[in-house]
Amino acid sequence: MAGQGCQGRAGCRSAGRDAGAGPGARGSFPGRSGPGAPGPPGQSPCAMSGAPGGRRPPFPALPGERVLEEAAGARRRRGNGGGSVPGTLLCTNRRLAFVPGQAPGSRGLLRPEDEVALPCIHKLVAASSFSKPKVLTAASTLKFIPEELAVFCRDFRLLRFSFPENGLAPQAFRVANAIAQAREAAARLGDAADGWASPGEAVPEEEEEEDEGSSTTLLFESLRDWEEELQRLGAAGWRVSAVNERFDMAPSLPQYLWVPSGLLDHDLKRTFGHFQERRVPRLCWHHPGGGHLLRAASFHPASEPGSEDVRCLEELLLGGRGPCVLADTAELPTLADIQLAHLRLRALCLPGAVAEEKWLSALEGTRWLDHVRSCLRKAAEVASLLAGKRCSVILQEPSDRDLNCLLASLVQLLGDPHARSLPGFQSLVQREWVAAGHPFPRRLGLLCQDSPREEAPVFLLFLDCTWQLLWQFPAHFGFTEAFLLALHDSSFSPDCSTFRFSCQRQRGRSSLPRLPSQTYRPMGGWQEPGGHRGHPNPCSFPPVWAWGRRYSRQQREQFRNPAGPPGPAGPPTPSTPAEPCPWGEPRLVLALAKGSLCPHSLPWWSRPPQRPPLWGSPSGSQGTLGGLLGTSCQPPPGLLLPCTAGPCVRLWHRCYLRGLPQEQRGRLAPSLAGLTEELQLLQERLRAWNLRRPH
Amino acid sequence: MGGAGSVMRLGVAALPGDRSFRCLPARGKRWELPPPPRAGAMLGGGARASKPSFVSYISPEEIHIKEPIEKEVNPHLLPGELLLCEASTVCKYVQEDGSHRGTYGKLVCTNFKISFLDDDSASDDNEPQFKNKIVGENDITLQCVDQIYGVFDEKKKLLTGQLRKYPETLIIYCKDLRVFNFCLRYTKEEEVKRIVSGIVHHSQTPKLLKRLFLFSYASAAPNNTDGRNQTVMFETLEDWRDELERTKGNVKYKAVTTNEGYRVSEKLPLYFVVPICISEENILKYEGRGIPIWCWSCHNGAALLKMSSFPKEQDDSTSQMQKAFLDGIYKTISKPPYELLRMDDLSSSLPSLQDIQNAYTRFKQLFLIDNSMDFWATDVKWFSLLESTNWLEIIRKVLKKAIEVAECLEIQHTNVLLIEESATDLCCVISSLVQVMMDSYSRTKSGFQSLIQKEWVIGGHSFLDRCNHLRKSEKEEAPVFLLLLNCVWQLVQQYPPAFEFTETYLTVLSDSLYVPIFSTFFFNSQHQRDTNKSGESIKTQSGPFRFLTVWDWSVQFDPKALAFLNNPLYAEKPKPDRSQRKTSRFKHQRQLSLPLTQAKPSTKRGFFREETDLFFKNILGKRIGKFINSSDEPPNSFREFYDSWHSKPVDYHGLLLPRIDGPEIKVWAQRYLRWIPEAQLHGGGTIATAARILDLMEEVQSLQVKMDEEHSQAVSGDVHSAPLLRNSARLSSLFPFALLQRQSVKPALPTSTWKDLEDEDDLVKRDDEFVDLSGDML
Repeated sequence: MAGQGCQGRAGCRSAGRDAGAGPGARGSFPGRSGPGAPGPPGQSPCAMSGAPGGRRPPFPALPGERVLEEAAGARRRRGNGGGSVPGTLLCTNRRLAFVPGQAPGSRGLLRPEDEVALPCIHKLVAASSFSKPKVLTAASTLKFIPEELAVFCRDFRLLRFSFPENGLAPQAFRVANAIAQAREAAARLGDAADGWASPGEAVPEEEEEEDEGSSTTLLFESLRDWEEELQRLGAAGWRVSAVNERFDMAPSLPQYLWVPSGLLDHDLKRTFGHFQERRVPRLCWHHPGGGHLLRAASFHPASEPGSEDVRCLEELLLGGRGPCVLADTAELPTLADIQLAHLRLRALCLPGAVAEEKWLSALEGTRWLDHVRSCLRKAAEVASLLAGKRCSVILQEPSDRDLNCLLASLVQLLGDPHARSLPGFQSLVQREWVAAGHPFPRRLGLLCQDSPREEAPVFLLFLDCTWQLLWQFPAHFGFTEAFLLALHDSSFSPDCSTFRFSCQRQRGRSSLPRLPSQTYRPMGGWQEPGGHRGHPNPCSFPPVWAWGRRYSRQQREQFRNPAGPPGPAGPPTPSTPAEPCPWGEPRLVLALAKGSLCPHSLPWWSRPPQRPPLWGSPSGSQGTLGGLLGTSCQPPPGLLLPCTAGPCVRLWHRCYLRGLPQEQRGRLAPSLAGLTEELQLLQERLRAWNLRRPH
Repeated sequence: MGGAGSVMRLGVAALPGDRSFRCLPARGKRWELPPPPRAGAMLGGGARASKPSFVSYISPEEIHIKEPIEKEVNPHLLPGELLLCEASTVCKYVQEDGSHRGTYGKLVCTNFKISFLDDDSASDDNEPQFKNKIVGENDITLQCVDQIYGVFDEKKKLLTGQLRKYPETLIIYCKDLRVFNFCLRYTKEEEVKRIVSGIVHHSQTPKLLKRLFLFSYASAAPNNTDGRNQTVMFETLEDWRDELERTKGNVKYKAVTTNEGYRVSEKLPLYFVVPICISEENILKYEGRGIPIWCWSCHNGAALLKMSSFPKEQDDSTSQMQKAFLDGIYKTISKPPYELLRMDDLSSSLPSLQDIQNAYTRFKQLFLIDNSMDFWATDVKWFSLLESTNWLEIIRKVLKKAIEVAECLEIQHTNVLLIEESATDLCCVISSLVQVMMDSYSRTKSGFQSLIQKEWVIGGHSFLDRCNHLRKSEKEEAPVFLLLLNCVWQLVQQYPPAFEFTETYLTVLSDSLYVPIFSTFFFNSQHQRDTNKSGESIKTQSGPFRFLTVWDWSVQFDPKALAFLNNPLYAEKPKPDRSQRKTSRFKHQRQLSLPLTQAKPSTKRGFFREETDLFFKNILGKRIGKFINSSDEPPNSFREFYDSWHSKPVDYHGLLLPRIDGPEIKVWAQRYLRWIPEAQLHGGGTIATAARILDLMEEVQSLQVKMDEEHSQAVSGDVHSAPLLRNSARLSSLFPFALLQRQSVKPALPTSTWKDLEDEDDLVKRDDEFVDLSGDML
């Protein structure tokens, strides 16, 4: 890992030496950042060599990462009263890292709590006993020597570093300024979306660690992935269309779309113009019982389809697949709501933000959990519709790039056991978020030029919803809370490509056209297509799913849920044929709003729809959703119906309350893992006994 | 993740072989060696829908067309139980959605319970897996009735005492939070009168102690259980001496017999423990008031004591004398060899009993839900409603107090003297909590039961008054014992591996408060119990009553159900040899608690302590006042103790401190939400994990048995049949209590909205509206 060559980039000329490469880096001084920042008087850089703390263990730099500044002998404070750990505080061009004095051993991966990616830093505060604390930005540099540095992170962490007074002053000063500068620089780089990929970087060979995961995560960057997945779903009557292969039909859509087999590409092309951002309806998921889930942007207000267009549109929307239910996002929070709630939540989760006895009402006041509930409720409605009756549900959001991603993936989590396995979930995120063009950089606030209004952590809301499901149905998921946490944290991490781009087109432009090596095998299988090394501008970052790069084996083992479904996620649920739609009428369009269905019409229909057949079939006599589910009392196997009542929706403690001094320890998971381990040990021994024993 | 290492060493060390057998990941082969088949699939199909055949879904309007078939069903009566009145053709509403659907059957009232009998109760092929043998799902013991409402012309009225009019519907709210709706519209008027007044009379009006079912049961059912229970009852001097020895408190404290024949006080137990230096005459002087009574000794010798204070005295000279007496006592027990003494007057430092009662009354109202409309109505404001009850806040205060006491004992090596008027309410809560936190023996089942016995039952908590079992006076009522259980639950859910029992155990224990066949919770003091034990029964030749104790769980539950009370993940302490175990029961090996080297008070605190307040107000614009430390607490030793403990890995056998920050205090969902179908998750909840754990446990155990067999070269039977995987998908999160709502499908959304679509006429009406709407959109 060490010794990756890295070329200095423009603007950091003096960083030519490989500062991040190892012990030798200590004492090397890459260009002092903070132009014009006056050094504290009377201190020379050499003072550092006399700094306490001794030689720090090697810093496991990422490819292309350079250490900009470091301060040996800093102390990281742990919680309250937990004392502090001595070590070295480093600022690189990617992240802020703390290398504890004692070598962590093993592969030298930093513990996740010891590092924070630069874009993840929300606020940097320096303080000393002699002057007022100060929020540091690139524009306003430090004028005093800090004694403590508090780093407020977007991922709800709060890191605190202190600098004991013995001769550390200059380093403390420089590190603080360097962080402020680097953070700004990182945000600026992010604006040029491909800026993260430094030229000439080589992807390190991922050594060893062949892992259990022969199961694959589909990246949905190639035709084969789309075909494979369509086959798994068993969606007869649908095909993969390459009509958008050159992103000329709809720039923000993926290259390949799932469309009805009956619709030729030629006809399909007629429909693009009638949807906003040209995002046409396409299949997301096929319920084995015959229901279809589609997603689309809303109808373009100015479109006036001609009769031929109408035929194509109706073929795409209705296609003789039973009634079509339009589910819009009116009941869901707006982007602004989500952002506001998230900000409030983050403020609430800072230590001591609110008196203990007011905690619950303050939590309610953030409305974050309300948003979680409404998303879950809507997804549950759609999922039970699909499970109960053979119909197609079209998720329709004006832009089709935010809440549709969330709803489409939630519905699949509820209805598809495969999506609840680890690779299945990764493929799901890849398809419904990454390929579908969720504008991650803007929504996560990783850019600095964007107006703040664009920021809305829809993806984090989705992770929270997923966590609620995980918490409510622990035995149905193949992954764990630890995995969700890792994913949550990685969304701010600069060294994975997944969250760096707004759509496939942008990603494609920043990298080379890939060889059709489409399936990415997690941990180990990542091979940069040969021959592209040294190309001026390859997207050299692996997707976030390459967990092996940042998480140790032990940590990754915690990603799998020992109490999950016993086998690997089996074939899709046995095809229980859903009740044939009782409403016969092929051209029926309904709208799902506030939990009920009502007739609806498509914009080009000249007159209101004819009176629809009655919704309540005689069989559905129960006044509940059960009526929609059919006659059985239990939800069909494989379908999860989450509870969205107040007492059942909880705060994701381990995620949001990490900033609090009390870390979460000793919960159920470790002991369960221990039990599983014990079981294996026993079985091994017994097997060995049997072998040894003469028969 | 610290502490995980100490978990679940299920005797691997005792296995043959050595490290040469590597633990290879054997994914997918996990189920290869199955355990012997166990009795049935214990968990399978727990909440499965029962046969719907007997559930009549006819609406009351249809009743004239179709008379419900009345099979003769007879109530199952316990020995000594008498049928007092009954009514037939009563309809028990399914409460889930407020629609008038339900089951017809007979409502009976006995001297023990109110019971609803439908055809179902006669057929027992659908035995639930977790069944209480004494109190069925449609039984309400008279002591469990909280309030009874009648519905008169759509209006709800509280029923107490004499009735002039008789209601159409009877709503019974139970103390275990069940709600029953009985419709009496189709019952004969005579029967309505009899049953309503009978129920109201027997459950709501004051009662004599001797009329408690406890006595009828005890005289009718001779108690044959021998005392093989592991629980220490603290009825003998021996028990106290053993406890002193166990905690190594016998150097400075002694068990006294002064109160034999209740010479000192009727409130004090027959035997108790005081400092050695306290003389008998001192004890006798003020009926035991002002005498420090020993609760427990810490490993470092510091002891927890309690004392009942003198009532406020008008007379000046009397109070002078009392003061002098107290000073003398304090002096004696502050001298070496006794540690420094810290006094804590709980009546001033904790909420009053009245506050506790009020908070709990508000709190339980959130869960006593008539119909789902109510539920969804409160749902929007759930968190603020919860907060406004103040119940969680009281739990937090109590836990905090217990941590403070633990800090004094553990770190400061001082004795702590808890003072309260009677020393039998909050003293019991705090002293029990401290022991649960500091003494891992109290976290075993028998240890916990012994603790309840020591501090509460023998200690003289007035269960009769506090639970208002006799309906004598509402003023005395206060859920003090429930408060303890709620606090212990917080600990159980924060540190599951540290407890031998589960939350289900706590839940059924709380339910047992209202089952009057056990003497445990039905007396105010040991004296009251002893005097009533003999009493009248001398006349009836049978001799003194032999009451059952609640600790004999087999009275209420089958072995199958009992499995749910034990925590399979309990991190058992390494035990001494099997041969020694019996003798060492009382000499419970006490590992010292976490070596808490007291964090040296840093001379220079981080700057944040002092300055953050202002700083964060100014700069961040948010009140992040207590950034790191709430500096307004003068003694920071508490905070330091709390924080330094939490920054270390947990030792499940050592000191255990609850987390008490705002987000950490939670609602005991199992107890409070268990009857609410809206909160039910089909195939979800922690039970899903628990079921998997039980499976794993079973497998591990059977493998261990197999290993033993192999080791002893015994001819082992061949491979057992595959383990019956409990189908956790069939279970619901309300398991094991979700028995009432078997027919219900959890609605994912308020049902009213969907109902509209079911009703054809309604839909036709609504259609037009919708058509209009869509027209507008064009």
